[in-house]
Amino acid sequence: MNENRPVLIAKNISFCYPGQSEPTVFNINLTLRRGEATGLLGPNGCGKSTLIDILTGLKKPQKGSLQRVGNPTPSLALVPQDYAFYPQLTCLENLRFFGEILSIPKHDIDNRIAQAVKDCLLEPFLEKRAQECSGGIRRKLNLAIALLQRPDILLLDEPTVGVDPQSRALLLALVKKCLIDGCAVLYATHYMEEVSAVCTNIVLMDQGSVLASGSLSTLLTSNDSHAPFQDLDTLFIHYTDRSLRD
Amino acid sequence: MPPIRHYLHQILMIARKEWTLLFRNPHGLAVLFLMPAIFVLVMSFTLRNTLTTQIDMPTTGWVLENGSRQAKLWAQQWLDRYDARMYATRHDLRNAIASGEVQSGVLVLGSWLDSTGVPDSKQIEIWLNHKTQPAAAARLRAELVLSVMQVNLKMKMAAAGPFANMMTGNTDITKLLDDNNIPRIRYLYEIDSGRTMTAVQQTVPAWLIFGMFFVVIPIAGVLIQERNDGTLKRLEIFGVSKTVILGGKLFAFMILNWIQLAFMLIVGYVLLPLLGTDGLSLEISLFWFICMTFAISAAAVCLALLIAAYSKTFDHAAALGGGINVILAAIAGIMVPRMLMPPGLQKISEWSPMGWALDGMQMVFLGVPETQFMLIRIGLLLCFTSLCFALSIIRLERHR
Repeated sequence: MNENRPVLIAKNISFCYPGQSEPTVFNINLTLRRGEATGLLGPNGCGKSTLIDILTGLKKPQKGSLQRVGNPTPSLALVPQDYAFYPQLTCLENLRFFGEILSIPKHDIDNRIAQAVKDCLLEPFLEKRAQECSGGIRRKLNLAIALLQRPDILLLDEPTVGVDPQSRALLLALVKKCLIDGCAVLYATHYMEEVSAVCTNIVLMDQGSVLASGSLSTLLTSNDSHAPFQDLDTLFIHYTDRSLRD
Repeated sequence: MPPIRHYLHQILMIARKEWTLLFRNPHGLAVLFLMPAIFVLVMSFTLRNTLTTQIDMPTTGWVLENGSRQAKLWAQQWLDRYDARMYATRHDLRNAIASGEVQSGVLVLGSWLDSTGVPDSKQIEIWLNHKTQPAAAARLRAELVLSVMQVNLKMKMAAAGPFANMMTGNTDITKLLDDNNIPRIRYLYEIDSGRTMTAVQQTVPAWLIFGMFFVVIPIAGVLIQERNDGTLKRLEIFGVSKTVILGGKLFAFMILNWIQLAFMLIVGYVLLPLLGTDGLSLEISLFWFICMTFAISAAAVCLALLIAAYSKTFDHAAALGGGINVILAAIAGIMVPRMLMPPGLQKISEWSPMGWALDGMQMVFLGVPETQFMLIRIGLLLCFTSLCFALSIIRLERHR
């Protein structure tokens, strides 16, 4: 079985933007496994989005190694923080464009679009231009486009910002479905309850480094002098300090 | 799918998406189609008298402050020949010019005849309203000087009596200084192709080129949106390279340039004659026309990609792109024909991409495309294209 097999292994990854003296990401170790979701937590500007760019292959780390494990190489999809599609196109036109660009057989494109539309409940909005849709529908479309790739690894960068509780519940249910299907998920967010709901592992970052990592229960009852922590919020504040970052 | 087919498929998909986005952008379409068409209409009429060697004589009003018989006779001859009328006073003449009754005035001063009775051109004033073209004023002045010389010669011949015939034979003295016996002005292209430069022949290619370079507006709009919204990232994760993304845009907008071209040719060939000006002559070398259009289009789209790649926001790109295009157009002789520029500026304009484009396109439309001349322009445009395309990709790669 594929379950819990590692599909993405990052070892000692460091990345520094040109012209900066301090690395944005420093010595990160991370393993994503099939059927497991890893929550990526950290204050604004801690390096989460840069780490995600490195994991997608869009940025090359100056140090360390990144490996996708499997034959064939596991496919990877990203759900970016922004609405990464064309607002002037309808939801269907967006799905069709991203589906066709994958260069897979037409019947397969149709199947994938139909499945993504069904999973994300987009049917009533297919002919509506994306710019005319609500924030929740746009978030669903953002996820639906990523699902067209049928990914083995799904990276989500704050996928529920600005959506109502109903849409959030749907998005979380979709992530859980992906896990059941054997996908490895990295879930970056500021919402602790979402991490608690879907993630088995947690990586807590600040200032480019990992402060703590492991399963939720392990972290809450860790050897830290302040442990046990009441909940994830308390743990987060303990590690990252109360001072404002923005 | 084999790699080449795969890339071509992706390029076509991106091009189709670009067209869909463009056709949902009425402002972008207006900039690409209506703006150059309006410029062609306005400039064809504006430059109608500037690009011809035969300028229309302005209508004149005359005031004779010199009461001599010669002055009256001379003025009457002018009135018989040209569209002109007499006024009693300077005040009347001024009002007639100001109201547009006549376009210019000729004031013959009291001292027009010197002490020996010989007319003096310096004792004539030409009055103009602010709308009179400098070329028309120059023609009026030249004709007046010539006419005064004719009067002068006739008076000298009359004074010479029988000796005059010994000098001129039996030639009618009025033909000696006939202003119809002036040299004909011919530009080289007219000698080569038998075709004269008209305002339409100048403005249609010029403003077409200007319009083609304005693809910067729709290209920048989409590219900056894609970059800022993370759509470029997403496309890369979908396996689409930066080269393919820019290649798709290049293809889409080069096709669009051909549609612009067809539209502008219809304006020049069909609409302008209907509005009463010259029509565009389409007796051109199709081969050089296609080569030039391809090179211009590639240069225009790649400059637009470069501007979009280096701009942070759409406002930035629109201001930068619009500004660069207007400056390039001014230098190249699109706004003001190069023949009206001083020699120094003409030299500078030879180093502008729009200048290469205009040079080549004008030679095509004037019917005299010489191989060496055309190849140099096309080569320069394609070098410019490659440089812009390479710099755009480098910029987008670094933006990661």
